Amino acid sequence: MKARIRKLIQKPGFDSLMASAAAIGIGLIFGLILLIVFNPGKSLYGFSQILFAGFSSAGKFSKVLYQAAPLIMTGLAVGFAFKTGLFNIGASGQYMLGTFFALYTGIIWQFPWWAALLAAMVGGAIWGAMPGLFKAFFNVNEVITSIMFNWIGLFAVNVLLANIPRVLADFYGASNPDRTANMAAANPAAIVPKWGLDRIFGSSYINISFFIAVILAVLAYIVLNRTIFGYELKACGYNRNASIYAGINARRNIVLSMIIAGSFAGLGGGIYYLSGTAQYTIEKILPAMGFNGIPVALLATSNPLGIIFSALFVSYIQVGGEAMQPEYAKEIIDIIISVIIYLSAFSLLLKGFIRRQLQKLARVEAKAASEEEVAA
Amino acid sequence: MIILADIIGATIIFAIPLLLVALGGMFSERSGTINIALEGIMIIGALFSSLFLRSADKAGWGPDHPQLAMLGAMAIGALAGTIFSLLLAVASVSLKADQTIGGTALNLFAPAFAIVLTWGIQGQGQTTINIPTWIKITRESLGLQPSQDPGFWDALLFKSTYLTTPIALIILALTVFIIYKTRFGLRLRACGEHPHAADSVGINVYRLRYIGVAISGFLAGIGGLAFTIAAGSGFQSTVAGYGFFALAVMIFGNWHPVRIFGAALFFALFRVIGSYSGSIPFLPTLSGIKYSQYIYQMLPYIVTMIILVFTSGKSRAPKAEGIPYDKGSR
Amino acid sequence: MNDYIIEMENITKEFPGVRANDRVTLQLKRGEVHALLGENGAGKSTLMSILFGLYQPDSGVIRKNGQVVRISNPNDANELQIGMVHQHFKLVEVFTVLENIFLGVEPTQLGVLKYQEARQRVLDLSKKYGLSVEPDARIEDITVGMQQRVEILKMLYRENEILIFDEPTAVLTPQEIKELMAIIRGLKAEGKSILFISHKLNEIMEVSDRCTVLRKGQCIGTVDIKDTSVEDLSRMMVGRPIQFKVDKKDQQPGDTVLEVENLVVPSKLHKNYAVKGVSFKVRTGEIVCLAGIEGNGQSELVYALTGIEKSTSGTIRLQGQDITRASIRQRSRLGISHIPEDRHKYGLILDYSLADNLVLQRYWEPDFQHRGFIDQIQVKNYAETLISQYDIRSGQGPQTQVRSMSGGNQQKAIIAREIDKNPELLVAIQPTRGLDVGAIEYIHSQLVAQRDAGKAVLLVSLELDEVMNVSDRILVMYEGEIVGEFKPREVTVEQLGLYMAGARRSQKGPNA
Repeated sequence: MKARIRKLIQKPGFDSLMASAAAIGIGLIFGLILLIVFNPGKSLYGFSQILFAGFSSAGKFSKVLYQAAPLIMTGLAVGFAFKTGLFNIGASGQYMLGTFFALYTGIIWQFPWWAALLAAMVGGAIWGAMPGLFKAFFNVNEVITSIMFNWIGLFAVNVLLANIPRVLADFYGASNPDRTANMAAANPAAIVPKWGLDRIFGSSYINISFFIAVILAVLAYIVLNRTIFGYELKACGYNRNASIYAGINARRNIVLSMIIAGSFAGLGGGIYYLSGTAQYTIEKILPAMGFNGIPVALLATSNPLGIIFSALFVSYIQVGGEAMQPEYAKEIIDIIISVIIYLSAFSLLLKGFIRRQLQKLARVEAKAASEEEVAA
Repeated sequence: MIILADIIGATIIFAIPLLLVALGGMFSERSGTINIALEGIMIIGALFSSLFLRSADKAGWGPDHPQLAMLGAMAIGALAGTIFSLLLAVASVSLKADQTIGGTALNLFAPAFAIVLTWGIQGQGQTTINIPTWIKITRESLGLQPSQDPGFWDALLFKSTYLTTPIALIILALTVFIIYKTRFGLRLRACGEHPHAADSVGINVYRLRYIGVAISGFLAGIGGLAFTIAAGSGFQSTVAGYGFFALAVMIFGNWHPVRIFGAALFFALFRVIGSYSGSIPFLPTLSGIKYSQYIYQMLPYIVTMIILVFTSGKSRAPKAEGIPYDKGSR
Repeated sequence: MNDYIIEMENITKEFPGVRANDRVTLQLKRGEVHALLGENGAGKSTLMSILFGLYQPDSGVIRKNGQVVRISNPNDANELQIGMVHQHFKLVEVFTVLENIFLGVEPTQLGVLKYQEARQRVLDLSKKYGLSVEPDARIEDITVGMQQRVEILKMLYRENEILIFDEPTAVLTPQEIKELMAIIRGLKAEGKSILFISHKLNEIMEVSDRCTVLRKGQCIGTVDIKDTSVEDLSRMMVGRPIQFKVDKKDQQPGDTVLEVENLVVPSKLHKNYAVKGVSFKVRTGEIVCLAGIEGNGQSELVYALTGIEKSTSGTIRLQGQDITRASIRQRSRLGISHIPEDRHKYGLILDYSLADNLVLQRYWEPDFQHRGFIDQIQVKNYAETLISQYDIRSGQGPQTQVRSMSGGNQQKAIIAREIDKNPELLVAIQPTRGLDVGAIEYIHSQLVAQRDAGKAVLLVSLELDEVMNVSDRILVMYEGEIVGEFKPREVTVEQLGLYMAGARRSQKGPNA
């Protein structure tokens, strides 16, 4: 038994996993401290919500899956780009463009849900191409381009939506003109189907989007690790010079990778806003979903399969965060996430530290084992 | 003519935060660290200085000594920004972590923290911290009589002038002097160009890089306050991407203080044009379009992209920026 | 005992995985020129870096004038009057000569720099030691020779008495090397004590008084130069007699494989062209070498040949086919292989496995993929074949992350990959840079084997020994043109040096 544990510890991925776990643990503890600072009396209640609310009922659990779906998509948007050497901080803008394309095609052109989702991918892809093109052809830093296009996208989508009466809620009788229509009224066929899941979980906050997202994550994994295309993309990301030397067209790959990443984020927007329970609000704030893709990707070291789990984790604690309102602001969850990211920047250090502790443990073990033998 | 004065005044007020933060980014990058966290640092600086002004207002002494309160607010903002930026310094310089990850973490932390703290202090749901109006510099503050019929100069000098403006210009002058004429500036630049060379002549690269990041935090903290003042609707836990704008300004200004000022004015102008589109004869008013102000608000971001296309090719960044300094590597 | 100004006793220094210095003892007499000899990786630079305060020894003591001293950083070294000219110059390119010289010891008043004072002092020193420099020129605009003089002036400005030179001749022409030898003798005459790191036996014999030899981190011994010879030193350095001449039978070159005509290639660094109308041929069964100081257009020429850069005009023909506008991959398919000059930057993807790197030039071929999906098993088999054939040492076989392999083995991997493609033309750019003698011998033998098998080899090298020993024909490049063509037997190193420095050029064009 002990020997098996020792073998597990030796595996190379193990200390990475431990480092991620340590970062998460420390982040949660920091959150607990914040809870105590802001409302000491309720801190245990708040913390228990964070830790357990997601599992507390079928309805809550279904919400975890429900919200994980767009997170997986934006996580893939960031992670896929990361693997190819680009920091896609523009997932937010791509998400919004995807939303716009989904809503427009769904409502104005009355597309069925799957076609609207494809349109969403196209929208995100177009917006994702921007930082890629600017970087590949003009050598403009993709972080700045992405941020600029986030804001350009926000304003553009807002203006467009505000001036197309049919997509707005008040066209269908609601009083608030600053939101897009309730999909049930505008085009029920565009709503992502539930296929019976709502009965299984007993909640209307669930549909097949989670499974769509998982399928795409698996596809992303296969493309990155098993295809020539993925081989070339990663090569460009790791070492652009060497990949040029190998005859790979680095520019084309930068643009393609951003197009793919953008389409992931776009799909995320489509999934969320075609769910039937969300309506896009016209306001001056960038949607957080796009930015939350960053911690999701970083926690999973951009591994598409890992992203499924880190998205579930982030969604899980977000459900907990909502549950602990109104005693606490749900932004505390964002703080916890940012601390986890900060710590993941130390991953090398954490990994080294953990490795040394494990080695010490192994030595003590071995010593104890040999002493046992001598005694026996 | 009043309109022209308004426009110039508004341009300056928006250029000041860009100037301050871009200069901060310049200090950091010239010493070798890319500071992606300027956005978050601005928010933290704005948060604490706004809270300070609010408490000065509530305590009553604020309106009696407005400029003193402003100085206090700037100092608090600078201090908060400096301390926050040290988090980035620890991650990037001492622990040699990826500078974009550390910076992104801080950018995610700051707005969330601002909202939580604001809630905590002002009560649930109250997410805006209002900036008192007495901080503005008016004729009265200079001891002059209020003017009966405000003209061009009144509009230019007293409509949107705050203490941050002259202070920022002083900082600009100091920056030029420090970077190019002092020993500190020479050594700082050496750390960003060729840290191994600096190390080999006995300069403590780690220490200077820390200082570079700390200065960027100092300036970005004040810049956050300056932004909140310019935006005019109180502190709302955001700086609308100005932290990244400032990076674009820094690149456009080719890491030179005076050129950065020019770039800041240029971008601020575009920010302002939208609000005055009605008064400028040759600009379309788009009155039929709902939320038309958003179209003009896109302008500065679009212009930024166009400018970057032309400047990114020829820019001369500090050679060793973004590469964590490792003594052991050769 | 007071004869020794510096003593390093039983110095040991370990880095993760390697013992760079193992109980090394070195003693420097006052006013002597003392050479430190050893191959790449023998521990010379580490030892001197310890003396200069860049590293701390794990054990052992350093004495100056008999007193034990602690040197924790370059400031301490400077206070002990120790100075160092590094192998890779530590100069800030955008600063001026003057600024680089006084960086770290700037004359100031209340923090403000005072240039005038420093400038005068530099000009005085420059005159006294015969080191001509322009104080207000920027480093990026001056020659390598002048840059080195700036490094020397850095030491003299600080009134250093003990001067360390780390492989100073690596980047100089033969003429500049002669000048440097004279400068070193001049410094010695002024009473300075000099430590001279090198692996170049001739230079050591010429200018030093004594020599300490290191091998694999250990001190083999210290000898008086007048009592020793090049052969003795080389035996101490390597542990066995080195073959200086590469075993090469004469070959008769055959058909033309590569034909370059009037090639013009622009430069990225300045407005002029890097390659100004170059023409030459390479035939089967010969090794042609482009010799010249770094920066005279060789890199750009090779980039144009391999397709990384576009040429402005001229033609490149491979076995008669015009490839001037062909893509990198097309050229690779038509039979060009290349071993790049910077293996980390161009040759390998360090974060990929050894197997993935070995198929970097062939992964699209039907052997290795079906309909876009990589055939992992085939890739692994191929890698294993190459690993055993070329004796590539790695920690975990094909799965090893290349980053963890040694420089020599990384280079072997590149060579294996490129040669196994069975190219018609092999282009090798400084293939032995930074490698130890064993690896160098191996690589040379591979190049010769290619040539003996009837392939064409184009070699670019900065090491004149390599140029003379390995090539069948030498083309000297200077400022973007071919200024001379020789057979190794017909020319001396000194003559090559003259052509390389542009002091001489052939009247007629090179006979292709």
